[in-house]
Amino acid sequence: MIRIFTLFLGLVASTFAVINYEVALKSEAVMSGFEDSISKMEMTLINARGQTKVRTMSMKVLEGLDADKSLMEFLTPADVKGTKFLNYEHVDKDDDQWLYLPALKRVKRIASKNKSGSFMGSEFAYEDLSAFNVKKYKYEGRAEEVVLDGVEMYKTLSAPASKYSGYTKLISWVDKKTFLIQKVEYYDRKKQLLKTAYFSEYKNFDGVYRIGKIIMKNIQNDKTTVLIWSDEKIKNGLKAKDFHKRYLKR
Amino acid sequence: MKTAFVLIITYVLAFGEVEVSGHLDLEREAFLIAPDSKHKNSFTLKQTLEFVYAYEDLSGLLKVYAQEDYYDTLQMSEHTKRSFARVDELYVKYDFEDDSLQAGKTIKYWGALELMNIVDVFNPKDLRSDMLNPDKLGVWNLSYSHFTDEGEFCVIMKLDEPDQKMAESSYVYNFLPQFIEYDASLQTSNGVNYPSIYLSYSASSDGEYALDYAFILERGYDSQRYLNSSVVNPLLLNQNAYLVNKFMSYNTLVVDATLIKLEVLYADVVADETVGDYSHVAFGFEHTMENIYKSAGFGIIFEYYRYDSYESDKYDDLDLYETMQNDMFIGARYSFNNADDSSIVGGVVHDLDYNEQTYYTQYESRVFESLKVRLDYYYIEPSKTTHTAYAVLGRHQRVGLNIAYYF
Repeated sequence: MIRIFTLFLGLVASTFAVINYEVALKSEAVMSGFEDSISKMEMTLINARGQTKVRTMSMKVLEGLDADKSLMEFLTPADVKGTKFLNYEHVDKDDDQWLYLPALKRVKRIASKNKSGSFMGSEFAYEDLSAFNVKKYKYEGRAEEVVLDGVEMYKTLSAPASKYSGYTKLISWVDKKTFLIQKVEYYDRKKQLLKTAYFSEYKNFDGVYRIGKIIMKNIQNDKTTVLIWSDEKIKNGLKAKDFHKRYLKR
Repeated sequence: MKTAFVLIITYVLAFGEVEVSGHLDLEREAFLIAPDSKHKNSFTLKQTLEFVYAYEDLSGLLKVYAQEDYYDTLQMSEHTKRSFARVDELYVKYDFEDDSLQAGKTIKYWGALELMNIVDVFNPKDLRSDMLNPDKLGVWNLSYSHFTDEGEFCVIMKLDEPDQKMAESSYVYNFLPQFIEYDASLQTSNGVNYPSIYLSYSASSDGEYALDYAFILERGYDSQRYLNSSVVNPLLLNQNAYLVNKFMSYNTLVVDATLIKLEVLYADVVADETVGDYSHVAFGFEHTMENIYKSAGFGIIFEYYRYDSYESDKYDDLDLYETMQNDMFIGARYSFNNADDSSIVGGVVHDLDYNEQTYYTQYESRVFESLKVRLDYYYIEPSKTTHTAYAVLGRHQRVGLNIAYYF
């Protein structure tokens, strides 16, 4: 009798268990629908001794069906002011990336194959900054139900689809009610824990969520980078034309 | 016309919301090996100021540059005449939805390669500056661009050819013999205001491999110049410009983590008894590896340059002081990817015809938030048998330090 009851419970659990892929799809859905976004970003680099350096940028993003386009302009420090970074994301091939260097008036093509390079000396890699897209990851198995800081979460496992990623696996904590990602652990190519990101200050724009703050802690070098978005506006009517290469020089 | 530009820009800058930025540089160069007649040190104070105005689709820019040389400040007899102020850019631009119009004095960049861009010919260089870090002169022009989804079609009318002034012979990068005088007034067949027309198309392809490409056609004065002596005074040299029909192209192909680059140009000299048709081709690749040590990136660069002149009875690469006529460059870049954006670049240029070598390395980093420091080292071993540009300059070794305050 006990054996039959246990089997019944197991069947019920597997019927209602949520698979990792499903959680990822729902996380993507709650962050989608912003159409376009204009915001400011402040990035604080904190070294192992606690010394800080601040970088500021302005950011425009155009939401695409499969992948986004973005244009970032560096505002400080003064020597990189006016430097712009244009990125056309792709799911099925490498992103198209260009960098504008104002001192030379040069638009330089960037080879984007290696996604693991540090962004502006921070603990963020270029691949960390692209929009969350389920097609960029592989999912297997079921999500674990856990409690983090008193909140019920799904703990999910994924692996980057690109072999050029700097990571072998990602473990994510996703709020069960909102499906917003709260924490991600990144494992390096040696399968060691490399970084932990804490996501917070989500803003709700009529049902569309946008991230407000990410704290990225590098476990291996004790450095931390804090990225804060401010003055964000969505659905501004931006078009693909606003992400033409001409805007690098403008 | 220039006066009208100045008035328009002055009005725009005076009554609009203007953003000011710039940098103040202190530059020190020690020439460890240089000809005896030259100063063994150089101290230069440089100031760049940029005023930008933007209101909706209208924008304007004024960029001024000034430098003061130590020997000029002391008013010594060995002054270098390297102290001056100049307007590098002064333009207004209006952006329509798919088009833009620009008028004024501008600096443009064309090219794909890292060491030298053979097609970056729109702006002449200021010969008073350090020849190892070329310094462009602004040029008056009108331009119209039409933008398509993939690229840009552009028509440019260049309206003048600025004189290229040279420092006094006491400055190490004045390569003329001491007894030779130089008159900066440019000699032309049709006057310095004869317009040069450029038609360009640049775009990006979106196939399996990403490709950026650009084609430029020019009818007007060539960027390559030659020196000849005056009939009245054989010890006085003038610079000469001549008309060409020119085709240029620059391209970058992305293959995985490698950029493959090509620059080509062919000049059909219209009518000049001294210079004949010529071509210049350069290609190379740049491969980057990330996280090779902690978060550092490492790039290797290879480039090859080839210059050919097609009329044997006219000036060749030696007469024209062309330095990249059959040269190979191998270089590397180490980016620390740290909070100070520190990097080291270096390499060697080997001249395959004349057995010349140039070695260089450069370190750059931010110090505090507003200061940037650059340290460089150059060594040039010129040809021992041929009268090349570097042979005229002489064996050369220098260490340089630049400290810049950005605001």
